[in-house]
Amino acid sequence: MNERRPYRRPMPGNWWAKPPYRAYTARELSGVAVAAYGGVLFAGLLSLSRGPESWAGFVDFLKSPASLLLHVLLLAAVIFHVITWFQTLPKTMPKMIVNGEAVPPKKITRIATIFAGAMSLALVFFVLGAAQ
Amino acid sequence: MSEPVNAESAVLQKTFELRILRYTPGRDEEPAFGSFQVTGAEGMTVLEALQTIKDTLDGTLSYRWSCRMAVCGSCGMMINGTPRLACSTLLRDLPPGPVTVEPLQNFPIERDLVISVDAFVKKIESVYPYLIPKEQKTVAEGPHLQTPAQMAAYESFSDCINCMLCYAACPQFGENPDFIGPGAMAMLQRYNGDSRDGGRQKRLDTIHGEDGVWSCTAVGICSEVCPKQVDPANAVNQNKTNSAFDFFLRFLRTEQPQ
Repeated sequence: MNERRPYRRPMPGNWWAKPPYRAYTARELSGVAVAAYGGVLFAGLLSLSRGPESWAGFVDFLKSPASLLLHVLLLAAVIFHVITWFQTLPKTMPKMIVNGEAVPPKKITRIATIFAGAMSLALVFFVLGAAQ
Repeated sequence: MSEPVNAESAVLQKTFELRILRYTPGRDEEPAFGSFQVTGAEGMTVLEALQTIKDTLDGTLSYRWSCRMAVCGSCGMMINGTPRLACSTLLRDLPPGPVTVEPLQNFPIERDLVISVDAFVKKIESVYPYLIPKEQKTVAEGPHLQTPAQMAAYESFSDCINCMLCYAACPQFGENPDFIGPGAMAMLQRYNGDSRDGGRQKRLDTIHGEDGVWSCTAVGICSEVCPKQVDPANAVNQNKTNSAFDFFLRFLRTEQPQ
């Protein structure tokens, strides 16, 4: 009865699919969408370097319903990634001390998210303006 | 004039069901759940329920506890699957129905709700958990002064009570028991972030590699379950940056690893 025999419980293989870890898994998976969109942009660059015909083919692909659907899905995933990425940001940086007090993580998240949103909007308006 | 209140009836009594994971080494092959009905004050904590069980139903029930007020860090356990301190968890705040009580996840079970803490204590010891003064001063030269801003840089990390809830919440510690983990990293940052301390390089040398900070994938639940808002995830992740810088700038440093 007094012997020592520590019992190690096995780690469930699907821990990442269950709450509270599911949110983490979704955050990390949305990074794949960022890479996928990078792939789309790279394909465009590649077709541009191959000449006008290749570029026209790429533009036709962008106009197809499948591509529009893909872009809607990718946009949603990237926005999710941006939001969750900035939620993680305060955990990855040294403590920010302003006027002798640590800045609360939520404040860092809020300011960074608003800044990223404003920069994205500014970029959209810049590109739209340049296109005209 | 109001009626005198009977002290006995003033406390609302309620019956709770606890499902507790039991394990006795040498007798049980593996842990199994045992069920207990506990009647007590409506506002009783999980720890009080365990004490009632030990007093009146089964004296062999084993668990750790000490202060009953969430400062000693002894009574961490999985309550309905979440790592919590039993002394600060009120039964009435949990969803109705049986309450599941298990030993902390990711740790070897010694007996019932008692887990092995040896490896955790070794990890705490490995990060030089004490102030290594930057400059030696005699008593006549006075104390090492610190501004409130310098204190704010490490203060939250000094609130850690070593309850190990963060380890129970960390899936990467579950996958790799040698991972230094959130609690020991909070301890490390408590001293590395201290303006009076000069042991930064010594501590950084203990946390490179897969068993150091690099097992962490920023899951972040360690900070969510922390009963003292220590934010251990912050301690781990800002030291990934420090570890990376240390790798790339290793040729420039003056102090060599031991």
